[in-house]
Amino acid sequence: MTPNIAIVQIQSPHWRGFKLWLPLFLLWIPIILLSPLIVLVLLCVCFLGRVNFWRACAAFWAISCALPGTDVRVSTEGNKILVRIL
Amino acid sequence: MNENRRQILEMLAAGKITAEEAERLLAALEDPPQSANSSAGEAATPRSKPKYLRVLVEADEDMTGMKGATTVNVRVPMQLLRAGVRLASLIPAQAHDQLDSALNRHGVPLTLSQIKPENLEELIDHLEDLTVDVDGKEGNKTKVRVFCE
Repeated sequence: MTPNIAIVQIQSPHWRGFKLWLPLFLLWIPIILLSPLIVLVLLCVCFLGRVNFWRACAAFWAISCALPGTDVRVSTEGNKILVRIL
Repeated sequence: MNENRRQILEMLAAGKITAEEAERLLAALEDPPQSANSSAGEAATPRSKPKYLRVLVEADEDMTGMKGATTVNVRVPMQLLRAGVRLASLIPAQAHDQLDSALNRHGVPLTLSQIKPENLEELIDHLEDLTVDVDGKEGNKTKVRVFCE
């Protein structure tokens, strides 16, 4: 399944910070609208790079479907950054 | 001490069995758990496939030069690693040599063309729980833990 929501949280000792819920599923709207252009660009890139178009699509699709569950937390000097993809 | 082992030693002490018989009995006591661990045990409880690769880094302030400890906690789905390997297979063959030589120049003796999804599975199998302690120049320590969960 493709990622639906990304959570970005930034905390700092000087200010309260924020937690941002990014609705990634909304990206489908521009992707679908721009799909002819995206396919054209991808075809050109694959042709120039001598890469199989379908294999490239499959690889990118596999990466986007594997993104949910990614969790990155970094904390230093009281600053905390959290990135989660659901 | 194990109850069975104690009984065997008591029987030996009482003279009911000879030293050779006791040795055989003790060996028989030790054997079943080993064989159970190696074959039957694995077959009975199949190891669940790990879903995530976890990387934990803890660096003290001497190492980073920042106040307080710095921690990095990354959880990456295994599927993402597999997809990454598939993506790497898309790199044109001509570029492989250039990439390999560039990696070698920077001290990473890696042959990209030899990285296959099967290698990743093999790596995961061996990546039960890896801990790397990095010693800094002035005795400061960074702990890196890589494991699958």
